[in-house]
Amino acid sequence: MADDSPASHRRDPIKSSVGNVAAQRRRQNAVTVGKERRESLVRAKRLCRVGPSGDGDVPGEENDMVTDEEGFLLDAQTSSAVEDLKSAIAYQGKGAMQKRVNALRELRRLLSKSEFPPVEAALKAGAIPLLVQCLSFGSPDEQLLEAAWCLTNIAAGKPEETKALLPALPLLIAHLGEKSFLPVAEQCAWALGNVAGEGEELRNVLLSQGALPPLARMMLPNKGSTVRTAAWALSNLIKGPDPKAATELIKVDGLLDAILRHLRKSDEELATEVAWVVVYLSALSNFATGVLVKSDAILLLVERLATSNSLQLLIPVLRSLGNLVAGDSHTTSTVLIPGHEITDGVIKVLVKCLKSDHRVLKKEASWVLSNIAAGSIEHKQLIYSSEAVPLLLRLLSTAPFDIRKEVAYVLGNLCVTPTGGDGKPNLIEEHLVSLVQRGCLSGFIDLVRSADIEAARLGLQFMELVLRGMPNGDGPKLVEQEDGIDAMERYQFHENEDLRNMANGLVDKYFGENYGIDE
Amino acid sequence: MEWNPETLQFLSQCFLHTLSPQPEPRHAAESSLAEAADRPNYGLAVLRLVAEPSVDEQIRQAAAVNFKNHLRTRWVPSNDLNAGPTFSPILDPEKDQIKTLIVSLMLSSSPRIQSQLSEALAVIGKHDFPKSWPTLLPELISNLQKAAQSSDYASINGILGTANSIFKKFRYQYKTNDLLLDLKYCLDNFAAPLLDIFLKTASLIDSTASSPGGGSPATLQPLFESQRLCCRIFYSLNFQELPEFFEDHMKEWMGEFRKYLTTNYPSLESSGDGLALVDQLRAAVCENISLYMEKNEEEFQGYLNDFASAVWSLLTNVSQSSSRDKLAVTAMKFLTTVSTSVHHTLFASEGVIPQICESIVIPNVRLRDEDEELFEMNYIEFIRRDMEGSDLDTRRRIACELLKGIATNYKKKVTDIVSLQIQNLLISFATNPSANWKDKDCAIYLVVSLATKKAGGTLVSTDLVDVQSFFLSVIVPELQSQDVNGFPMLKAGALKFFTTFRGLIQKPVAFQLFPDLVRFLGAESNVVHSYAASCIEKLLLVKDEGGKARYTSADITPCVPVLMNNLFNSLKFPESEENQYIMKCILRVLAVADISSEIAGPCIAGLTSILNEVCKNPRNPIFNHYLFESVAILIRRACERDASLISAFEGSLFPSLQTILANDVTEFLPYAFQLLAQLVELNKPPISPSYMQIFVLLLSPDSWRRSSNVPALVRLLQAFLQKAPNEVNQEGRLNQVLGIFNMLVSSASSDEQGFYVLNTVIENLEYGVISPYMGNIWNVLFMRLQNNRTVKFQKSLVIFMSLFLIKHGATNLVDTMNAVQDNIFLVILEQFWIPNLKLITGAIELKLTAVASTRLICESPVLLDPAAARLWGKMLDSIVTLLSRPEQDRVEEEPEMPDIAENVGYTATFVKLYNAGKREEDPLTDVKDPKQFLVASLAKLSAHTPGRYPQIINENLEPANQAALLQLCGIYNCQIV
Repeated sequence: MADDSPASHRRDPIKSSVGNVAAQRRRQNAVTVGKERRESLVRAKRLCRVGPSGDGDVPGEENDMVTDEEGFLLDAQTSSAVEDLKSAIAYQGKGAMQKRVNALRELRRLLSKSEFPPVEAALKAGAIPLLVQCLSFGSPDEQLLEAAWCLTNIAAGKPEETKALLPALPLLIAHLGEKSFLPVAEQCAWALGNVAGEGEELRNVLLSQGALPPLARMMLPNKGSTVRTAAWALSNLIKGPDPKAATELIKVDGLLDAILRHLRKSDEELATEVAWVVVYLSALSNFATGVLVKSDAILLLVERLATSNSLQLLIPVLRSLGNLVAGDSHTTSTVLIPGHEITDGVIKVLVKCLKSDHRVLKKEASWVLSNIAAGSIEHKQLIYSSEAVPLLLRLLSTAPFDIRKEVAYVLGNLCVTPTGGDGKPNLIEEHLVSLVQRGCLSGFIDLVRSADIEAARLGLQFMELVLRGMPNGDGPKLVEQEDGIDAMERYQFHENEDLRNMANGLVDKYFGENYGIDE
Repeated sequence: MEWNPETLQFLSQCFLHTLSPQPEPRHAAESSLAEAADRPNYGLAVLRLVAEPSVDEQIRQAAAVNFKNHLRTRWVPSNDLNAGPTFSPILDPEKDQIKTLIVSLMLSSSPRIQSQLSEALAVIGKHDFPKSWPTLLPELISNLQKAAQSSDYASINGILGTANSIFKKFRYQYKTNDLLLDLKYCLDNFAAPLLDIFLKTASLIDSTASSPGGGSPATLQPLFESQRLCCRIFYSLNFQELPEFFEDHMKEWMGEFRKYLTTNYPSLESSGDGLALVDQLRAAVCENISLYMEKNEEEFQGYLNDFASAVWSLLTNVSQSSSRDKLAVTAMKFLTTVSTSVHHTLFASEGVIPQICESIVIPNVRLRDEDEELFEMNYIEFIRRDMEGSDLDTRRRIACELLKGIATNYKKKVTDIVSLQIQNLLISFATNPSANWKDKDCAIYLVVSLATKKAGGTLVSTDLVDVQSFFLSVIVPELQSQDVNGFPMLKAGALKFFTTFRGLIQKPVAFQLFPDLVRFLGAESNVVHSYAASCIEKLLLVKDEGGKARYTSADITPCVPVLMNNLFNSLKFPESEENQYIMKCILRVLAVADISSEIAGPCIAGLTSILNEVCKNPRNPIFNHYLFESVAILIRRACERDASLISAFEGSLFPSLQTILANDVTEFLPYAFQLLAQLVELNKPPISPSYMQIFVLLLSPDSWRRSSNVPALVRLLQAFLQKAPNEVNQEGRLNQVLGIFNMLVSSASSDEQGFYVLNTVIENLEYGVISPYMGNIWNVLFMRLQNNRTVKFQKSLVIFMSLFLIKHGATNLVDTMNAVQDNIFLVILEQFWIPNLKLITGAIELKLTAVASTRLICESPVLLDPAAARLWGKMLDSIVTLLSRPEQDRVEEEPEMPDIAENVGYTATFVKLYNAGKREEDPLTDVKDPKQFLVASLAKLSAHTPGRYPQIINENLEPANQAALLQLCGIYNCQIV
């Protein structure tokens, strides 16, 4: 506003000039407005085009591209398929069962035909009540399978289309039970996974209808495909943001063992789905994090990181590891003890990720390192003397912004020891001096110039360390050389009071005008 | 306040009168409104008045402004005690009613009232949105959709303007879960309607612009304003991170963005205002794509090439044009972001950098009419931008930032091309100097702006040109030009170059130009004579290796008379009467030159006449500070050389100082007291009667009432106590001094000053003089100890007791204290002295208290008494802590106490005059090392009664301190037996 009072821009006296450099572990924000990154790799909703147990028709020879004309045709075929199903259900005579199954199969074929199934036409024609009817208890397995399959693909559609499944949910959940034919149970899990992937509201409905325990029990055996589908559905179901479901899941008898077993032995595809379950367990529930940290989970995650080259797998595994480090101080204080084999293993796999070409791995590995670097002096020394530092220094000057920011947290944490209360952090001079000599200051000053205020704060905090901590009072000269004064002066009238005070305080304290004769 | 016809009448009358040109009715109306504002429902009543169609528009406008300001001070009352008077807050029921009414009122009002109400709404939103105002966003959205259906752009823009102000907080607050929850709420509700209206307006613009004649400006204007607001909201909503909705719809947004950068709208752009409107939209687009480029470069990547070329060609056009600053700046910032990103290779292909340099950088660095205007009309602002780095958003500076950005990855290329450009510019200048002088200015600007600053700010270097030869061939001719007034901007550029590269210009070369610098002090241009003064001032600060000043008094003394004369003369130019650059130069010259009486005379005359002038109306605090520093340094250095000058100084200065005191020029009082203290200290006793008059003034409690005066007054009092101890003891003056001590020490905010007074008394007066007062003094101190014992006070008390002991002996200390109350000494010792001793900081204080405490345990009969053995041990324990541990291990900072001054509203503050400063004196010059003093004294003491003290030490000292003591004994080769 034009006539803002000048008072709000005055240079407030700075109290403690700069607070801790990150010195505590950072969990990722629980609230997110960004797109869920997982989606680009693994869709939250999945179309079922080939039956889970490998049967059904393979639509391989058909062309995926659907022209408008074909789309129109498909819609018309779908409407008539629903009509056929309706009459098949009404028919009570001989071969009624086969008739129903045939009608269902036709509808399922149409719904599996292309990337863009004719869901709207099916719904409009009134498919849902018919499909619900086909799910009734005592129906033959083949009929159940086809009906659940149809519902799976309807649920893979737009939000409103997914919501249309509401009347079918109780029966889909009921067929998850141990007494069900396994392919049926798996197909139902798939349909429910799609529903859970839609959003918080439907997740809550599923949870209140008791979907979690039977899905969790499906993870216990060693049946590859079923476990994979159940794990995926569960990872959707416990996404929160309420941590309750995650806590409930980890408490299911045998679930933890199953997770560990799958992480230890299964193929990469299954391990990937299980790792996503671990991601959400550890991201949301402190209880689950506590349980996982005390198990072999960290060890198994590290082994996977060391042996796999599958990006799909590495991402959830790395994020799980990061959550376990960030979420529970037990991890750094009693599991990742410097000198233990597992700790060296962690650093080694993180270095591997830092070297990878994939930015998500670099970013997440830096995030994990920054949390380990927030630990004890010994942790800091361990990272400092590892292969990670030269990599981090290079990333700080060349990587895209989001990676640079994470890297800066690691390097900043390496230079300070946490203090109690809100006092200024103590310096680790050896680390600071060496990192500055190796050129990291300009990277931090670039962060001060960035539009991101978290990054700017981190940059300012590091500058404070340099100004205060470089021996022989070299700090101000170094900051000036890197054009740091100019970077700080951008905050002279910034609307963020904290940054404004920090920057102005540093300029005043270290570069204040000296009226005296010995300027 | 009830809403009825009387209220309506009353408020209408008042607001009408606030517009009156006559002061009386205006003031009366303002004060009745101020009074009414304290009543409940006042805000609501004013808002209703604003909405009353029967009331004159002018009155309703005044009411709307009043309403906005009312909310600003009272919606959330300030907690800041220093913020001025506090207002009674608006109560919740009234707030609720206001919130219910304001949106629809705002939308239905005329543009001027709408803008006031929109700001008022933003004030509310800042505190209440979204959690305490859940209806706001739905109301805005439904109104937006309604207005969109009828294409009512007055309402649409009102709503978007409001949304823009309430979303701004997402641009500067830290990313916390709370903030993200708010953001998510806004995104979930507003992201889709925002895109809808943006696309709708976009298609309206397209169809209007493609109609014959390109559409009327009146139709297009609100559409462009609407798009600009959408872009600003886009910026706020995307600032924290890339929201899912925006990622999913990036294509729609980016498509329109690109259109606005690449399309021309002739029917609008043909007028200045219209062009400005379109440019504002383009600038907003540039900010958005810069944000994406910086933070979401991966998702943005697919659009980057198109945008880079769009911005580039846009800039090529904009750079040729004189106005369009904001667009030029934001567009160049976008390219700068690209140049430092992982996609910098866009600049790598052959020919790109030379083109950018030629068609973007050089045209933007060239002087424009606006720069010339600023140079002439507002020299202070020009200098701030040109020399002092306040040019963050000027085209010249940002163009150089772009070059620096490209140079982070392509240094060699940039250097080569820019050097070549500089050569070309200089050649062009040489062909026709008077027509092409701006080319030379441009060349100089490039060299200076692209130089790299080195340590200390005095050394700079550049790879672009050879500084020495550039200086000789390009700069020197300007400096030697006989016409100081010709091409002033070029002269300013040359002076700036000299100043910037002063460290690299060899002494003989620079020295030869000194008379030219002195000559340029006579230039009419304010910038030129300021730069000349600044250049001289900075040259005098240049240090050679080893820290020795390069230019000494011997170098400059011969030209000092002319120099001083020119400096004083340049202060006579219009608008340079209070030119801080010149005054700073005067200060620096007085600090370096030999001050003979021939120089001192005119200088003191010149300075006092300026002083008398500024006393009438102190305006520029920096100028005034340098002025007082100049007086102080002149006195100090001249009298050091020739003590007889003091009376001449007194003669000139006294009238001015008396004017300051007599007219109570509050800003200058602290300075005046410091100068007086300096003069008193230079005097030899007996002190002249005119000072004693001031001494009387000094003793009046009125002088001490303003806290900003106190440090300077203490300083002056100390000077008197040192120089005129006998006079102090006459006419009951000591009593008055102690009265001041009493006043200061009783408040926690001034007790330190009180101790300064007391310590000075104790240090400078004979014991016989002060002994009658001691009982009283102890009473005052004990009283304060009882009422409000801050750690700071306790430490000051320990220092005072130590000083007393050193000056007047342990026995006097113990006896005078015990005279107030039996045995109080040991109580004070145990409760205050021993625990606080280890908190003492400062070298002089530490030595003083350590030595005094040592003497106490080695000399004082009270402590040598076997009954006091435990106290003796504890005292020693504390001394050893004090002496053996580093400060940060023994001292914990006391949380700062808020200082509640009695003189609210007074703004002058105490600023220390460096050159009138007093050296801290060590009251204990005979003891060098307090550690050695401790162990030597203990060794001597224990020799009398072997075996006694080791046992006490063993029983009372912490093990660490026992070890430390043993170590000290070893170091100094003493033994405690």
